[in-house]
Amino acid sequence: MAMSMEPFNRLVRLVARAFYDDITMKGENQPKNGRSDNRGMAVVVLDALTRRQWVREEDLAKSLKLHSKQLRRTLRFFEEEKLVTRDHRKETAKGAKIFSAAVAAATADGKKNPREGEEKVKLHTHSYCCLDYAQIYDVVRYRIHKMKKKLKDELDSRNTIQEYICPACKRRYSALDVLQLISPTGEHFVCERCNNELIAESDKLASQEMGDGDENARRRHREYLKEMLQKIEIQLKPLIQQINRVKDLPVPEFGSLQAWEARANAAGLLNGDPGGNDPNRANQGQGYGGTPMPYLGETKVEVALSGAEVKGEEDNGADIGSPMKQLPPWMIQEGMNLTEEQRRGRGEVKSDTKIVSSSTSTYDIDEKKPNDVKEEDKSIQDEYIKAYYAAMVKRQEELKMHQKTQNELLGGDVSNVQETHPGRQVGMKAKREDDDVEWQEAAIPAVANGAPKVNDLNITASESENEDDDGVDWEEG
Amino acid sequence: MFFHMVLERNLLLHPRHFGPHLREKLVMKLMKDVEGTCSGRHGFVVAITAVDGIGKGEIREGTGFVTFPVTYQCVVFRPFKGEVLEAVVTMVNKMGFFAEAGPVQIFVSSHLIPDDMEFQTGDMPNYTTSDGSVKIQSDSEVRLKIIGTRVDATEIFCIGTIKDDFLGVINDPDAAV
Repeated sequence: MAMSMEPFNRLVRLVARAFYDDITMKGENQPKNGRSDNRGMAVVVLDALTRRQWVREEDLAKSLKLHSKQLRRTLRFFEEEKLVTRDHRKETAKGAKIFSAAVAAATADGKKNPREGEEKVKLHTHSYCCLDYAQIYDVVRYRIHKMKKKLKDELDSRNTIQEYICPACKRRYSALDVLQLISPTGEHFVCERCNNELIAESDKLASQEMGDGDENARRRHREYLKEMLQKIEIQLKPLIQQINRVKDLPVPEFGSLQAWEARANAAGLLNGDPGGNDPNRANQGQGYGGTPMPYLGETKVEVALSGAEVKGEEDNGADIGSPMKQLPPWMIQEGMNLTEEQRRGRGEVKSDTKIVSSSTSTYDIDEKKPNDVKEEDKSIQDEYIKAYYAAMVKRQEELKMHQKTQNELLGGDVSNVQETHPGRQVGMKAKREDDDVEWQEAAIPAVANGAPKVNDLNITASESENEDDDGVDWEEG
Repeated sequence: MFFHMVLERNLLLHPRHFGPHLREKLVMKLMKDVEGTCSGRHGFVVAITAVDGIGKGEIREGTGFVTFPVTYQCVVFRPFKGEVLEAVVTMVNKMGFFAEAGPVQIFVSSHLIPDDMEFQTGDMPNYTTSDGSVKIQSDSEVRLKIIGTRVDATEIFCIGTIKDDFLGVINDPDAAV
């Protein structure tokens, strides 16, 4: 279901307004008065359906504040028009719940409504309906094609039966009579009465032999047809454009009611929505509390991608189970914060490490570092840390050796120590950059101290060790 | 369109056939009488597929002929408006051309022939496209659509068009030779 609904929904809305604007859904024996004029209702129903997937007709009626009979009539009409698929099934209250759960899951609508319906044991026939986008696309194209073809045929006077006329006695013959009228030579048709050669009627028009009002009416009719054809072109232009736009897109497919229900429920569970099948929660009543719109789960994801990446990061941990789409490589731009799932299947992770190094080089503290990059970095950091420890231990030993030797050599030579100090500083700095540990400050004072004592060095080293440990703890926690 | 249906008919049989092969004779006569005829109601009877039953004969007074009510199954062909048929062109003139689809005569008038085809006179009158790639003349096979039928009691006549998608010549008689 990785497809965008919006172009198709737009198509449906355009179709509704183009073709079903002034359809009245009226019973044959209903009194005709102002109140029963429900033109435009078809449009409302179709619009409402574009915002839903499978929906129980009662619920739809409630949310549209329509009488369910009226709605059913409209939907039956649309079913005949092949815009809507419907499904009827006998079900107990429990069956209805499963559907409600599916709707709730699809809506990702967290609020619970305690108004639990009374337990019904009786079987009720429930009707469900859903837009059939693939069929709508075909039906609309066919409809437009038929409209144009009909007008064009009439304009070209195709499928009209040719008439022939005798120039002498004005007797008219239709093409259906011609079998008896063929001249002995077979060249042309002759009048039964006066044996004159017949002329086809359109020829007569060409030879300017006009005059009677019939001819004028014919021409007016032709002009009318032409006008109609032009109007079709103009007025349906947005619709045709939308059809062309939709042409290459994958059609949203909800499948049958059962399949959809199962899928929606599964998605609901994935969403970390344990109440999905909870009977208390089910039947939470589409109509009772608000009108939950079963938006597609995908829509939500798209929003998260397009705009609030940074904001989305904080939630990232929370809805880790939500169905994340794997982004195609061309959609991934540098600087995008990607989740593990989104990035999967991508060969390289270089851009992400770049982010890390840039953020750390600006003395960013770990807490602000995006969560998503830590997976990759962890291994790298661990390696660095290990190497760092090794270097640290080695250095300390060296220093101790120095100390000893210095003490032994009457300890006065400070410059010797100073020489070792910058070397150590550089090595540490290089490591530090990748460690994301905030101990630049700790090191700087050491430099600023000028000629440090050996003890100082040890202190800073131990400090850094502590901080390092912190960093590791944080990473793993 | 073809239909398989059960029809009834009263057969008049000459007394000379009364004998051991009466039934065969009856069926033979039925076939001879019925196959190839046209009724406005059912269309052309193409073939008898079975004889269901032969009722009791009734002797006509004065002549000695006997009438047998016979029920039989047969295939009938009835053209309908909007139906697409394949037909063989029989005659071409400037008004259009005539074609036959089995027993049915179909006339296609010149204004129901595509505009790019023009009438060419000569000993083999024909309609030809400007580049000469498509030619309609006698014995051409065309696919046409029936746009009008005239059904008389014993005759069906149709008007067709080839001015539509996928209609027109389906073989070239010159190429076949």
